[in-house]
Amino acid sequence: MSRSDARLAWLLVAPAMSLIALVAVAPLAASMWESLHLHDLRLPWLGRPFVGLAHYRAAVADARLHEALVHTAFFTAASVALELAFGMALALILHHLVRGRALARVVVLLPWALPAVVAALVWRFMFEGEWLSHPRGAWVPIVLGDVWKSTPFVALLLLAGLQAIDPALHEAAALDGAGPWRRFRSITLPLLRPVIAVALVFRMLDAFRVFDFVYLLTGGGPGTATEVISLYAFSTLFQELRFGYGAALSTVTFAIVFLLSLGWVRALRTGEDA
Amino acid sequence: MRIVRWLPGWTIPALLLAACDPRPDVLTFSGSTLGAEGALVRAQIARFAAARPELTVIVQATPDAADQRHQLYVQWLNGWAADPDVLQLDVIWTPEFAAAGWILPFDRFGMPADELADFFPAALAADRWQGRLYALPWFVDVGMLYWRTDLMPAPPATLAELARIGRDARDAGRVRTGFVWQGARYEGLVAVFLEHLTAFGGRILDDHGAVVVDSPAARHALAFMYDAIHRDGIVPAAVLAWQEEQTRFAFQNGDAAFMRNWPYAAALLARPGESRVAGRFAIAPMPSATARSAAALGGAHLAINARTSQPDAAWDLVRYLTAPEQMIERAEIAGQLPARRSVYADARLAHALPVAPEEARGAIERAVPRPVTPVYTQLSGILQIHLHRALTRQQAPADALSGAAGAMRQVLASSGLGRRGR
Repeated sequence: MSRSDARLAWLLVAPAMSLIALVAVAPLAASMWESLHLHDLRLPWLGRPFVGLAHYRAAVADARLHEALVHTAFFTAASVALELAFGMALALILHHLVRGRALARVVVLLPWALPAVVAALVWRFMFEGEWLSHPRGAWVPIVLGDVWKSTPFVALLLLAGLQAIDPALHEAAALDGAGPWRRFRSITLPLLRPVIAVALVFRMLDAFRVFDFVYLLTGGGPGTATEVISLYAFSTLFQELRFGYGAALSTVTFAIVFLLSLGWVRALRTGEDA
Repeated sequence: MRIVRWLPGWTIPALLLAACDPRPDVLTFSGSTLGAEGALVRAQIARFAAARPELTVIVQATPDAADQRHQLYVQWLNGWAADPDVLQLDVIWTPEFAAAGWILPFDRFGMPADELADFFPAALAADRWQGRLYALPWFVDVGMLYWRTDLMPAPPATLAELARIGRDARDAGRVRTGFVWQGARYEGLVAVFLEHLTAFGGRILDDHGAVVVDSPAARHALAFMYDAIHRDGIVPAAVLAWQEEQTRFAFQNGDAAFMRNWPYAAALLARPGESRVAGRFAIAPMPSATARSAAALGGAHLAINARTSQPDAAWDLVRYLTAPEQMIERAEIAGQLPARRSVYADARLAHALPVAPEEARGAIERAVPRPVTPVYTQLSGILQIHLHRALTRQQAPADALSGAAGAMRQVLASSGLGRRGR
């Protein structure tokens, strides 16, 4: 590529790049800059002094943040594992359905189409009472609600993957005497691996940022037994108006999600090479 | 598509123009717009607007849940929005919004001191920040004890008596449970705790602003609440997820002998078609324990957006809505208590309220305000979490209180409030 070609290429991507800079990088940078300042809207007399990494040092010692991270990790692991298991079962059923496939797909997709707020309120209504005030019991409607809502998404992704597998492979294996379980393990699962990975990435990143279900079902309670990281950042920012510390919490969330995505992208790439 | 190509071209300047336009002839009010209360606000504002043809007054709906409205206000005001001009604030928000510079001090309007003295002093004190007035009380809320007249001849005077009557009524199978209150992790739990705390002679902050929520009296109060749920079973554990409406439903269905709630519930409980306890309940002050009976002081206040384009018209609306006539009408229609003392002498109020006006006035005069500080939301948040941990058996009550006190002291110490005084 000649130098003028390169210049033209940069010129052509410049609008897209500047748009990304404007909508993604700039707010992120502003938020990070804010996290280096003491900025409390309720206490204007403290000014807005630069405090360096003080908020991050406080975050390292913040027991409530540690708990919130553990809760978030638990929620992510539990809900994504269940969604993957149920999603796989659902996809296999849909794949092998002979009649009424179109209708079944629409029905399966319904929970996914419902707004999260509506779904959460329905689940709250079903579990109204002592479930929500039990520190461990309160997780049940939260995780079940999320599984109920997001399983269709996983199922649909997996179904698309299933339909891309050449049926001839199954027929050949069946001729060789492989049973359904053996064919599932030796043909379906390996060929489905990239799709499973994509579903995992999407769901994990989504689950890590969970807000709506927890906010509406328990508000993080009882006590802070179901408080997740985005809820803690939210209450620090919008209820307590501690913008500096809230920005630091948001940056921590961003860093974790970013590293997770990076790890997954790497894993996916090596998966493709293999 | 041609449209798509030129659409962003004109929309952006149009949006910018719309954002900059101060719309000098439109006044926006925002607050509760649900049910009878909403219809009342609209009617009163329509009357105000009819007398001011040069103005268009808009009622902007906001979420009815207090913390959601708080969040929305924060977004608007921190974004320097000039609308809404007039805001309905919860009693605990005024110092916070005043300190942030979001609402206008009222000194410039020059309200006569004798008229100001008509408002309940505790309610007015919550509207002052560093000696200046930032809001006016609109209506007052006090926590009250709803009791069943078919189960007992007179309301209990003490919490111990309440527990005994509640237990007996439940054991006799006349009700499912003894006592219901708001126990979810939200501001309502702090109000309920404050009433128990005052009954045992405790306080959240002392006269010097120091945190005393780990005092022996506070431990007794929280232990009473804990035992009522987990030892004596007179309060159902379900209340730990309940706010006002869920408690009202339980009492309205005849499930409970007692309920702690704000005055709004009385009018709803008295409707024969919907309420099973219509004609079978009455209202009394909250019982005492070792100290005095006291209600938590709640209520709504009206403030003016500091970036309003028309402060004078906004002030006129605030004055109109807080005038005696509007307060009486509010009592008649929504059952909410007037914030002016002189109104309690008005004969019309006797028919409007579920309790005798003198009794209501006495309860308000004795009511306990929550701490008046811009960091109240954070202090309350800490207290809510620790109280809820104790009541849901995640932490021993005494540990929860000392944990809360420690965290609250830290907030106050790093706020710079101590050096500035109040």
